[in-house]
Amino acid sequence: MKKCLKHIYLIAFITVAYILLPVMNADYLYTIQDLNVFISGHTFMMETVQYEGGWFCWVARYLTQFFYYPWLGSTILILFWVAIYWVTIWMFDIKNKWSFLALVIPAILLYHLLDYGYWIYYAKLPALPFQPSFMVLTCLLFTWGVLYLTRSLKISWRLRGFIAVCLLGVIIYVSDFLWPSSPWHYNYSFRHSILTTLTDKNFKHELKMYRALDEFRFEDVLKEMPTDEDEAPTNLMVLYKNIALMHTGKMDKMFETNNCGIKPETNDSLNIRISQLGAPLVYYMFGHMNYSYRWAMENSVQYGLSFRNLKMMTRTAIFNKEFEVAAKYIAMLKTSPFHRKWAQEHEAWMMNSTNFFQSQECQTIAPLLNDEKNVLDGDNGLCEQFLLDYYSNLDRTNTPLLEDITMCMSLWAKNYYAFCIHFYDYVQSNPSRSIPKLYQEGAILLGRAEESPITLDGFRFDDIVADKFNGFVQEYNSLQYEGVDEQEIANRLKPLYGNTYWWYYYFYNDFNIY
Amino acid sequence: MKLKNYLSIVSIAALLVACGQHLNVPTNVTMENRLPSIYPDYTEVTIPANICPMNFIVQEGETEAMARLTYPGGEFIYGEGQKILIDEEQWAEMLDSAKGKEIKVEVFAKINGKWRGYQPFNIYVAEDSIDEYISYRAIQPSYVAYERLSIVQRNITNFDARDIYNNMSVSTEDVGQCINCHSYKNFKTDNMLFHMRQGLGGTMIVTNGELRKVDLKTDETLSAGVYPAWHPTHNLIAFSTNKTGQSFHTKDLNKIEVQDTESDLILYDVDKNEVSIISELDDELEVFPTWSPDGKKLYFCSAHFEYENDSIEKSAEMIQRYKEVKYSLYSVDFNPDTKEFSNVQMVYDAASDSINQSVTLPRVSPDGRYLLFAQAEFGCFHVWHADADIYMMDLQTQEVQKLDAVNSPRSESYPTWSSNGRWIMVDSRRDDGNYTRPYIAYFDKQGKTHKAFLLPQQDPNFYTFYLRSFNRPEFMIEPVKVSPREFAAKAKEEAIPAKYAAQ
Repeated sequence: MKKCLKHIYLIAFITVAYILLPVMNADYLYTIQDLNVFISGHTFMMETVQYEGGWFCWVARYLTQFFYYPWLGSTILILFWVAIYWVTIWMFDIKNKWSFLALVIPAILLYHLLDYGYWIYYAKLPALPFQPSFMVLTCLLFTWGVLYLTRSLKISWRLRGFIAVCLLGVIIYVSDFLWPSSPWHYNYSFRHSILTTLTDKNFKHELKMYRALDEFRFEDVLKEMPTDEDEAPTNLMVLYKNIALMHTGKMDKMFETNNCGIKPETNDSLNIRISQLGAPLVYYMFGHMNYSYRWAMENSVQYGLSFRNLKMMTRTAIFNKEFEVAAKYIAMLKTSPFHRKWAQEHEAWMMNSTNFFQSQECQTIAPLLNDEKNVLDGDNGLCEQFLLDYYSNLDRTNTPLLEDITMCMSLWAKNYYAFCIHFYDYVQSNPSRSIPKLYQEGAILLGRAEESPITLDGFRFDDIVADKFNGFVQEYNSLQYEGVDEQEIANRLKPLYGNTYWWYYYFYNDFNIY
Repeated sequence: MKLKNYLSIVSIAALLVACGQHLNVPTNVTMENRLPSIYPDYTEVTIPANICPMNFIVQEGETEAMARLTYPGGEFIYGEGQKILIDEEQWAEMLDSAKGKEIKVEVFAKINGKWRGYQPFNIYVAEDSIDEYISYRAIQPSYVAYERLSIVQRNITNFDARDIYNNMSVSTEDVGQCINCHSYKNFKTDNMLFHMRQGLGGTMIVTNGELRKVDLKTDETLSAGVYPAWHPTHNLIAFSTNKTGQSFHTKDLNKIEVQDTESDLILYDVDKNEVSIISELDDELEVFPTWSPDGKKLYFCSAHFEYENDSIEKSAEMIQRYKEVKYSLYSVDFNPDTKEFSNVQMVYDAASDSINQSVTLPRVSPDGRYLLFAQAEFGCFHVWHADADIYMMDLQTQEVQKLDAVNSPRSESYPTWSSNGRWIMVDSRRDDGNYTRPYIAYFDKQGKTHKAFLLPQQDPNFYTFYLRSFNRPEFMIEPVKVSPREFAAKAKEEAIPAKYAAQ
């Protein structure tokens, strides 16, 4: 049994690593891969290796691609850790019962990988799963090699070890001297984000929802949205959910599906912005090609080029008919075995516009391309705020989808003035269409506001909606009269009215846009 | 077997492989009555007598291509897949032999297993050489972000490219640094400068080889120096000072507008470390100073713009009226000894009703006769304006002509001259509309501009896979001697504040 201890420890570690990586965090690993890039060819290689530590980075970037299949990337990474384990045991001649100590470095590396949480969007360290492991393994192998080559010298093991470490120090010093700068910020500090990675449900939901949305699997986006009333989604999840509703013709259900987002809280100084987490995709899904391109570009510059951003820039360039620049990005993506198929599909769309027009992507996005004239503007880094303002104030709604979006966005933004105008236009242009329940809820509520530009005369609302509103008002007033505080009123009214716009309007006041 | 024997076998094998790779043009060829599609487009261009090999890729078929280059002294044949990679020594031999003449290029491509030939084209070799170096800011065409930014110097007689300064040598994860325009005195690098913003900001000035970092922002000026111009004979630098903002188009493919809400001109006396005002008129946006070669005239651009709405911020009004901002070209006389400016003159009234355009980035030819500039419908940041083109004014006749040989349907900007005045370099977005690339054109003694060519790279696919723009390319006759490490060390020091000298 004692003889097998080192194998037992290793098997236990591998099992834990597999559980923590591909089993529990497959989406996390896939996203890390998506935020990495590797382009085969001379130019990318020279760009990468010209800096200090560049060869490590180049190899690590190559290996990180394999997390496209999380189990495959995890297997390769775990093999690195296994190698570190064995080299450590051999190098220090660790006895069986103490061999678990050789797992300290792999355990730290595993912890380090899981300790990023939301930092995966912000860390300026490319190929973060492999870079530290590869460097550690190389240093260990180097030290072991020196120990092995100097074994015939009649000096102590400690002195030989000291020589090895000194040589390593000289190499690092010389490399620092030869390469004046590094394009990456090596930061091995603990980020205190492991709890986010392992336990933050919203973080995991966001990862899943992004991928589903990116692949136009709108029903999967909606399935990922928590239905538990006590589980507050993030603003980004609400955005993803509403985009999915929008593209499945159910946008008027947005307040029936938990529309009260919160800003994610992190344990450290990280200031999370939707601009980095999902703005390129969000803008794309709303047909804002320039802004989508902009944020894909900005994030590439600030936090490193990625497959994700290359794809976004390709898509927007195709929609903008900027085919030469799209071809440039496609040429890069085609060098990746994991993204080649996607690139070839999009290249085919460029070659044959009929295929493009018939694609789900085009048919989904094209109705959003409104004929509003160009505006010189800016989002000040607040994607959600920009979209709410833009659609609330949109004058020209040339498609039914845009009509719905303007109404829903002005309700979402609580911009009752804009909603009233859109509602009026909506009813005028759709005289035979029944008014969806949500718009009735909004019109009844806002029509009674003192500053409302709408008069309700002439509009007929469903009795059931009007009666429910009267019930809501009565119960609200009665609870207020009893001296119940606002939060308690919200809780008491939620079971009956939580899926109405009125509840959102009165009780969701923590709209923290980030 | 001894090591020597191994080496002999390896050498013979290598020799056999090399002989086996000797290329012959195909004999059974179907001729096409058109020029081949190649990238970069080097058909019928005129090149300097000392440029690096003009490697290109044949965009016909998908597997194999070949090119025969015939010059007065013989011929060479090249082909590696679809790439035509020219041996540097052979290329030098061709250029020597073909100076003042041409190199004939015949291209063959294998399509579906059969060879096709195309109409041959010429590459004309000028008698004139070009400055050995260029430098440019390597920057991703981003909007407000700036990481991994460097100023690069490239020896254009070969393929050697090195950083002059890289912002990553001083940036931290939290605090970045933006590098702004660079400038040289008379194409030499003993007197040069570049500016840095944000983290460890300041202006790096090399004077007679000595490096210092100064802070040109004073209480009396709008900002630190932005667009610079070294005086050709004195240790003086003209700068614009700018309050710059950016805003973004929701649909327009120009995507971004960079606008100055205010801008003035200042003069920096390097020896005295003093800043003085050249021009700070209220309703004028003065920018882009550039000296005449004798240093007795300063050219600059200025837009007349009166703010009309006090209830909103200037930047907001500028966004609303951005198409009204049109720059014209002016000059002002300068006495280098007294440092006095006088007699402002309109050189080209681009903003007038009859022209209704906006002129930026003027550059006077080394002989003082011609003036290059970039012109577009409005604004000052023409690198983002697809309609921007390069124009040339003959300062003797005041005649302005559009340089069709260097222009394209996409943005052209940052024109500049080589030190001998025979080569023009411009930044162009013609390749894909988003990434600026340096194009060089021959300007012959008769005043004719020849077809521009893209700066050659060792790998002709380089530009496809390179995601940075070549911003503000400048000619230099020698490399920068201060090392990136020295620049980085100086950048980490405190900047010396410049003094303000009232005039």
